[in-house]
Amino acid sequence: MKDILAEINEAPTIQTNRLPVITWRWLKVNEFQLDDFTMEKVLPYNKGCFTAVPSGNIDVKAMAENIHYLEAENYFKNKGNIGVSDTFVKMVDTFYNTGAFIHVKDKIQDPVIISYKPDESNPMIMDKNFIVAEENSEVTVIIDYTSIDNTSALHNGLTKIYAKDGATINLIKLQDLNDTSINLDSNIAYIGENAKANYVSIEVGSDKSVVSYISNLEEEASESNLDSIYLVNGSRTLDMNYIMSHIGKKTLSRINAYGALMGKAKKTFKGTLDFKKGSTLSKASEEEYTILLDKTVKSQAIPLLLCQEDDVEGLHAASAGKIDEDQLFYIMSRGFSEKEAKKLIVESYFTPIIDKIPLSSMREEIQNIMNQRLMDV
Amino acid sequence: MSKKLLEIQNLKSSIEHTEILKGINLSINQGEIHVIMGPNGAGKSTLANVLMSHPKHEITEGNILFEGESINGFSADEKAKIGVFLSFQYPEEVAGITVENFLRAAKSAVTGEPVKFLPFKKALREQMKLLKIDETYGSRYLNVGFSGGEKKKNEILQMAVLEPKLAVLDETDSGLDVDAIKVVAEGVNTLANENNAILIITHHKKLLDYIKPNYVHVLLDGKIVKTSDGSLADEIESKGYEWLSNQGGV
Ligand SMILES: Nc1ncnc2c1ncn2[C@@H]1O[C@H](COP(=O)(O)OP(=O)(O)OP(=O)(O)O)[C@@H](O)[C@H]1O
Ligand SMILES: [Mg+2]
Repeated sequence: MKDILAEINEAPTIQTNRLPVITWRWLKVNEFQLDDFTMEKVLPYNKGCFTAVPSGNIDVKAMAENIHYLEAENYFKNKGNIGVSDTFVKMVDTFYNTGAFIHVKDKIQDPVIISYKPDESNPMIMDKNFIVAEENSEVTVIIDYTSIDNTSALHNGLTKIYAKDGATINLIKLQDLNDTSINLDSNIAYIGENAKANYVSIEVGSDKSVVSYISNLEEEASESNLDSIYLVNGSRTLDMNYIMSHIGKKTLSRINAYGALMGKAKKTFKGTLDFKKGSTLSKASEEEYTILLDKTVKSQAIPLLLCQEDDVEGLHAASAGKIDEDQLFYIMSRGFSEKEAKKLIVESYFTPIIDKIPLSSMREEIQNIMNQRLMDV
Repeated sequence: MSKKLLEIQNLKSSIEHTEILKGINLSINQGEIHVIMGPNGAGKSTLANVLMSHPKHEITEGNILFEGESINGFSADEKAKIGVFLSFQYPEEVAGITVENFLRAAKSAVTGEPVKFLPFKKALREQMKLLKIDETYGSRYLNVGFSGGEKKKNEILQMAVLEPKLAVLDETDSGLDVDAIKVVAEGVNTLANENNAILIITHHKKLLDYIKPNYVHVLLDGKIVKTSDGSLADEIESKGYEWLSNQGGV
């Protein structure tokens, strides 16, 4: 632990979220620089994390040292770079203070709901989560990171998902830490033959939020979908690094990211579609769209296409724009003020993704959060 | 004598420095139905958009008086609140809010009063029934995936709910099948009373089989060049607009 802390505390700046291939040097987007970051030690998180655990052929436990699933552990061990930065990943992997182990063996209807809510006495979340889905099983896991007071929290998380042949893992994450918190979130997936990982990410909080998702489509016909929505207001920063790594034949991936920026918000979206040797007949698409609500925001999008294989199909599009004037006019003509109309439009961009959340209480919660954050539109 | 509701005086407008409306004069009293016809690009939608304060259109000269007061500087939502309504030629899609929630919020916005959930739901159902709109559309996102005709009917539904003093219908009958035109016309006739007025922009005489206008105006190149009664629509149907272009203003 000392080594890791020394590494972090002695560096004047920490590089996180590196692009898999260094280009675009002039844009300064190859990595996200975390300046002046120090920490003394990992503080304990003394709260439970399970809000709902479904019944059925599923094993759900708090993360502990004696929990093992060697096949998956060996796989991830050999994967190299698996998150926002080696140091932060190593830190949580070894010195986690909370986390969940979910082992599913059947199709489970109801979601596992996990909540990490930092507060004054629990200002640090180092959650190590491990989701293993046996062949042809299915599970939905919802993880909610929300501040409940104005404590500056540090979240450094690691979520590994391991979907064996024919399995489906749906992972939904909401991050709404307060505006003085730091969020570092590493996610990595193994997807087996005909297996599927569906990740829905809702990013609305933290002063600095660095999120990473590396999805490995390892076997024939593995499928990976990422729906990401974000809202960055105030002077907050969000850096997203998403990698779809196509390894097996006939694999399929999709990234859809929609967001809105306001005030002095900064956002970088990095989306890499990586076709490895042997990934013939694979298809990938990514689309990113950002609404710029103020002139003072900074928005960058780096869609990257890497091809070691010819017979593949990769589509990418990224764009940013202002609110559509005609749409705004239409809504205002029905009596809504400009502010209300803008809110409605921004919400309308997010709705198709929010609608994918199988929990109405959470959908409402997100709507409320968005509403609040859009207050000074 | 019925009261004057809308008076447009020598209205000129431009968009991106191009003048479109070139001096419109039009006066509409309570209880009246007016029709505007005119060739493509004449400025009909522009007039409707200027009336509703589309931010891209600029009034460069003239006045719009509503119930005797100038509303030139009003924003679109302020216009809605005093009772102006526009049925759009191309209604926008808004995902994320259902027709019912949108309309309840809109009703509350224009009246400035809270709208009760259940009575509203019931009233909306009645209106939908009259307009032959399936109930399920109430819980669909506003105009999302609606067919062209369904969007138009939904505009009339919004008009029926908001009960404006002045409704401007921009080609609401375009793209509707014969039955739907009849339904829309019935919707308009239900709304029409001695206290409000309706301005209908159309290309088709068909609608006038069901709605009897007090006046028909022809708009050509940013100006109203002729005003007459319903028979003018028949004349246009047989003769087109060509013959009017050399008549000048009336
Ligand atoms: N942004 C713009 N810049 C320049 N000219 C414009 C712009 N928008 C509209 N116009 C022009 O204004 C004129 C009037 O358009 P408008 O939409 O009012 O016509 P209209 O009478 O409603 O036609 P239609 O019957 O086809 O609906 C047209 O010549 C159109 O090209
Ligand atoms: Mg038009």
